[in-house]
Amino acid sequence: MGTTRIAIGGSRARGKRLVTMLAAGTLLAATSVACEQKSGTDSGAKASNKPIVVGSTLSLSGAFAATGAIHKIAGQEFVDRLNKNGGLLGRQVKWLVRDDESDQAKVSQLYEQLITQDKVDLIIGPYATPNILSAMAVAARHGYTMPQHTAVIAPLMTYNCQFPAWSIGPKPNEYVPNQLLDAVASMPDPPKRVAILTNQNGSTDFVSYGSGSDKTGMVSIAKQRGLNIVLEQKYLPTTANWAPVATRVRDAKPDLVINDGLGVDPVGLLQAMKQLKYQPPLMFSLFPAPGPLLGLGDTSDGLLSVTIFEPNQPTLAKLGPTATAIVNDFKTRATQAKLPYPVFETQAAASWNAWEILADGVKSAGNLDQKAICDALHAKGADTTFSGHLTFDPKDHNFWPTTLAIKQIQNHDWVTVWPADRAAAKLRSPAS
Amino acid sequence: MTAARRGLVGFPVAFAALATLSLYRETMGFPLFYLTLLGTMLFWTAQATSWNILSGYSGYFSFGQAAFVGTGAYATAVLYGRHQVNFYVTVLAAAALCAVLALVVGGLAFRLRSLRGEIFALLTLAVPFILSALAHLNSAIDGGQGIIVALPPFPAGLGGAQDYLYLVSLVVAVAAVWAAYAIQHSRFGWALAAIRDAEDVAEGLGVATFRYKMLAIVVSAVIGGVSGSIFALQIGFVAVTGVFNLTVPLFVIVMSVLGGRTHWLGPVVGAVFVTLLQDRLTSSGLADWRLIVLGGVLAVLVVLAPEGLYGRLRAGPWRALAAFAVVTLGLRVADAFGEVLDWILIGAFAAVVVAVLPGRTVRRDRTAERQPADEKPQEEKPPEQEQADAPVGDVLVECTDVARYFGGVRALDGVTLRIGAGELVGLVGPNGSGKTTLVSLVSGTMRPTRGTIRIAGRDIAGLPPHRVAHAGVARTYQVPRPFESMTVRDNVAVAIMFGREPCSLPRARVAADRHIGFVGLAPLAAARPTALNLHQRQLLEMARALATNPKVLFLDEALAGLTPAEIDNAVEVVRRIQRGGTAIVIVEHLLRVVNQLATRIVVLDKGTCLADGEPRTVLRDPAVVRAYLGKRAHA
Amino acid sequence: MDTLQAGLTGVLAGGLYALMAAGLSITWGVLRIINLIHFGLILLGAYLTFQLASSWGIDPILTLVITVPALFAAAAAVQWTFDRLRISELSSLLISFGLLIVIVQAVGNLWSADFRQLTAAANPYATRSVSAFGLVFPLPTLLAFAAAVVLIGGAHVALRRTFTGRALRAFAQDRAIAAAFGIDHRRIGVLVAGAAGATAAAAGMLFAMSNALTPATAFEWFGTVFAVVILGGIGHLLGTLVAGLLVGAIGAVVTVLLSPSAEPFVLFSTIVLVLLLRPQGLFARGGTR
Repeated sequence: MGTTRIAIGGSRARGKRLVTMLAAGTLLAATSVACEQKSGTDSGAKASNKPIVVGSTLSLSGAFAATGAIHKIAGQEFVDRLNKNGGLLGRQVKWLVRDDESDQAKVSQLYEQLITQDKVDLIIGPYATPNILSAMAVAARHGYTMPQHTAVIAPLMTYNCQFPAWSIGPKPNEYVPNQLLDAVASMPDPPKRVAILTNQNGSTDFVSYGSGSDKTGMVSIAKQRGLNIVLEQKYLPTTANWAPVATRVRDAKPDLVINDGLGVDPVGLLQAMKQLKYQPPLMFSLFPAPGPLLGLGDTSDGLLSVTIFEPNQPTLAKLGPTATAIVNDFKTRATQAKLPYPVFETQAAASWNAWEILADGVKSAGNLDQKAICDALHAKGADTTFSGHLTFDPKDHNFWPTTLAIKQIQNHDWVTVWPADRAAAKLRSPAS
Repeated sequence: MTAARRGLVGFPVAFAALATLSLYRETMGFPLFYLTLLGTMLFWTAQATSWNILSGYSGYFSFGQAAFVGTGAYATAVLYGRHQVNFYVTVLAAAALCAVLALVVGGLAFRLRSLRGEIFALLTLAVPFILSALAHLNSAIDGGQGIIVALPPFPAGLGGAQDYLYLVSLVVAVAAVWAAYAIQHSRFGWALAAIRDAEDVAEGLGVATFRYKMLAIVVSAVIGGVSGSIFALQIGFVAVTGVFNLTVPLFVIVMSVLGGRTHWLGPVVGAVFVTLLQDRLTSSGLADWRLIVLGGVLAVLVVLAPEGLYGRLRAGPWRALAAFAVVTLGLRVADAFGEVLDWILIGAFAAVVVAVLPGRTVRRDRTAERQPADEKPQEEKPPEQEQADAPVGDVLVECTDVARYFGGVRALDGVTLRIGAGELVGLVGPNGSGKTTLVSLVSGTMRPTRGTIRIAGRDIAGLPPHRVAHAGVARTYQVPRPFESMTVRDNVAVAIMFGREPCSLPRARVAADRHIGFVGLAPLAAARPTALNLHQRQLLEMARALATNPKVLFLDEALAGLTPAEIDNAVEVVRRIQRGGTAIVIVEHLLRVVNQLATRIVVLDKGTCLADGEPRTVLRDPAVVRAYLGKRAHA
Repeated sequence: MDTLQAGLTGVLAGGLYALMAAGLSITWGVLRIINLIHFGLILLGAYLTFQLASSWGIDPILTLVITVPALFAAAAAVQWTFDRLRISELSSLLISFGLLIVIVQAVGNLWSADFRQLTAAANPYATRSVSAFGLVFPLPTLLAFAAAVVLIGGAHVALRRTFTGRALRAFAQDRAIAAAFGIDHRRIGVLVAGAAGATAAAAGMLFAMSNALTPATAFEWFGTVFAVVILGGIGHLLGTLVAGLLVGAIGAVVTVLLSPSAEPFVLFSTIVLVLLLRPQGLFARGGTR
């Protein structure tokens, strides 16, 4: 197969010499490391005026990069804002963020590196559930407190000092289905026939089918509520051709399509259905990328999803000027970074929560001791701009009582529509 | 076995030295993050070595490394993470599962006679996709959301969690590299090198290629799987999509090829270099440029040193070391460009640049010991041959009504032929008459559609070619196909090592020198085949075939393309071989030669035997004149 | 009915796979270059289409006027360099992998890693379709199918009928003999690679027409596209076309009859079978390559 080859059998002497040479090289490297260490120790002592360093990775390239970019902008905005207001414990804060390439192996390496090599004072989680779990393993090894943005599979988040910034409570696999089905049941002509399409990614599969011995999920709850499941399909995270699934949906004639999917899954589905000259009366998608759906125009109008925050006027008015300023600043930064959908919504809010949890923990603890921060958070909770005061119960793996809501695309924009007390607009029924 | 003894000393020493870094980390003031970095290098070293044992040594490129890593990680996650089986038991289970997987993949792929390297590569590309799809289809096995894998309990004396992970990775990596080292310095390694250079030639010389390929894929799989088990601990959470992805195979290939595929140290060099480069790029402020730099470095290095860095470093080790030392220490003194790891990386780059750039001319010099083409071979006693084995007149090769069809084409159609011990038969016929097909059938590389072939009374139906070789058939190729990576001496030695009576390399080398002297190549024994001219390559073919100690030797157009002087020399060698008692079949269309040499001539035409007898009688046969000479006269 | 409809949309969508695979297959078969950059070129084609259509309001199809020459030139330049450096098949794989990750990162830096999608306003094709015989023919995949048939079929005919085509086939079979007959391998190589680049532009445009783009997409094409190359037979154009359509149909029918999760399993098991039983590809009559 190859063209040029080195000899195996050739001169053994040469080979031996090279082994010696490599050994010598290694020795040299080790010596310089040791020397470096001696000279390095005296410089690290006086730390009080140095900035507090927060370390984390984000998926800035690879499969999760689309959302990673949002967390990067939100985090930077938070740090800038914090520093402008005097920093943390009187010190400035510096954020060291590395690209994990959406690769779990990278995540654990980089968190090890951040903790042992860069000796960061604090850490915050990466993006995407598998990455967060890998980072959590490292955090647990080193006893670091780790607020994390988006992992909602409560049963898996076993580390005592991880603090979720986005909580669907201890049982999202019950909460989401019930909330959604409650919402649609309030419609004048509630759906009876449902199609459930599930991405075989961890968190989406969890919401549809539960985890471990707890098999409760969208499917079982829909059945329990007497709904007729006319189609139930699992698909792979890598699915690209949506036409076949769309065909099946069209022929099953559901009143409601529940897509426990991710990213651009619903975009592909809606387009494929539209090409078949079919539009489902009502559709729900669990964790979609918000921007591309709006790009579909009328095709996506009326689509439902979940949210912890949407920058709707009534909501912002309730939260006050700080929240508005944050949202506007984000828009400026995201536009500068060429993000196609520069809106501060669920992902950014989760990011903001995570940072506020971290900052509040440090403030409550009064120092940078990881155990103290963890204990302080358990004892006092944390105050957040977008989700209010959070309390962390280790029994529930720190998953706080959820503030999850249902959002809907109305007039080419996302608005919170359910539950009524947090809604910015009314839930719209399918035009019949 | 000095190599084995060197390994017995060297590897434990290397292991002890590297283990010390963790065990006495605090005493030595060795920072934890270097340990983490070393741990990463160890993981990639094990993976790259695993890949290299199969793909580097044997030349069968695999894109399926993720199948082994993934199976290992997944097995440990399910058994240990989900069902609380003892971790170390799951490592064994991972190894066993991967071995079974390798047996299936290898058993399917290597059974194919017509398998080309690229087909194997594509086949392995599909395997991780199939495994991950299977895992998704049966999501009840893992529960659907992935599995958390915590560290198993370990003795407190080992230090912290990082130390434990480092030490486990170290054990696996050292064992893997040791295995690669041992393989390279054993018959197994030579068999794989022969397979890589020219597989069917190796088989024809008696190398049991299928067995060695299977062995290679199993060893590779076991290392990959065990390392995958450790990987599960490292990442702490195993989901199907995360462990069967394409990143692992691609990086493993990049590392091994950059380092050098044919030597056990190549993947180590590659893994260390690439890991360090990646680490530095991530730590620097160049996040947006990381993949751009990495991709660029890869492309440039493959262009400049396609055979790998190791070979280049080996060509001038002290210069490279000097460059490394000067640059690293220089930067250290100047205290410029970041910290110590950056200096090491820049130093390594300097070493690579020094090794790669002028390397192009340096390597040629070694083959300068060229010889005049038509040097007279020294008259020597033929090497010991089993003359008593087959007294003149005994039937050695017996083909009865042999036919071979390719689809509708009848390449051979009912040929019956006997060749006795000590004969020198000329097998002639126009192009397409079935001569080469007959040679392939007798040497076992092809199966007859009909008829039986016996070698020294033994039916070879169903025997793989290497067993036919052991039965006493050897052949040369019209276009000589030496093992390009080996010296002339080792080319012949391989044939002896894997002959009827297997022997070790040192003994084989001694015996090889006799055969080389016999054909007159003694002065070129240490040269590479690339330094040989066509005639010398043909002589090497003969020496190598002779080294298998054959009863009958087929020379396939061994004289084509030679000058008259070279032909005379070759004829002289052939005569000498015959005098040694080996029966010879010369496949030729040069009548002058056949006429001059052969004691008997067999003429094939359109797949049938046209004539068989004394040269003078046969050449006067009207049918032969019409079919053979007539055509040639017009051609 | 839904099986038939799904099979149909699958076949149509398979046109895009065939188009993506054709360039890879022909450079591999004829030039002995495993050109992973091809995936990067498709990605570039898709992003260029996105950019031109979004910011200048050009119809996506018309962007080909710009992308085809651009990618033709890029691919030709790469081939010229490969040829000059005498790159072997194996080295080409590694070098082009290196260059592919360069392209992917560069695209990420230029367009951000977030999803980019043509809006409904800039892309009138995304949700249109044509109905006939009680079946629906979605427009983007119909276009992909048509492009595949026209481009690959056209190339196939050109290979059989024109002098350059015959020269090319001679070149693929035996370089030395082709050279002896005065065939300029360098010119032919650059031409073939350029043509492959042009198909990358078309494939990229068609992909952008119906999908959201992220830089990582380039890696997601690997599995299916290589599957099509293998099934069709390396360097065998008509085979690639049929294999693309077949892969599309298999995927769709398996999705409907079994489950979407079963698709890759069936697809890649088929590939293993084909490799074992007909290593020259499903449709190659031995030695066509």
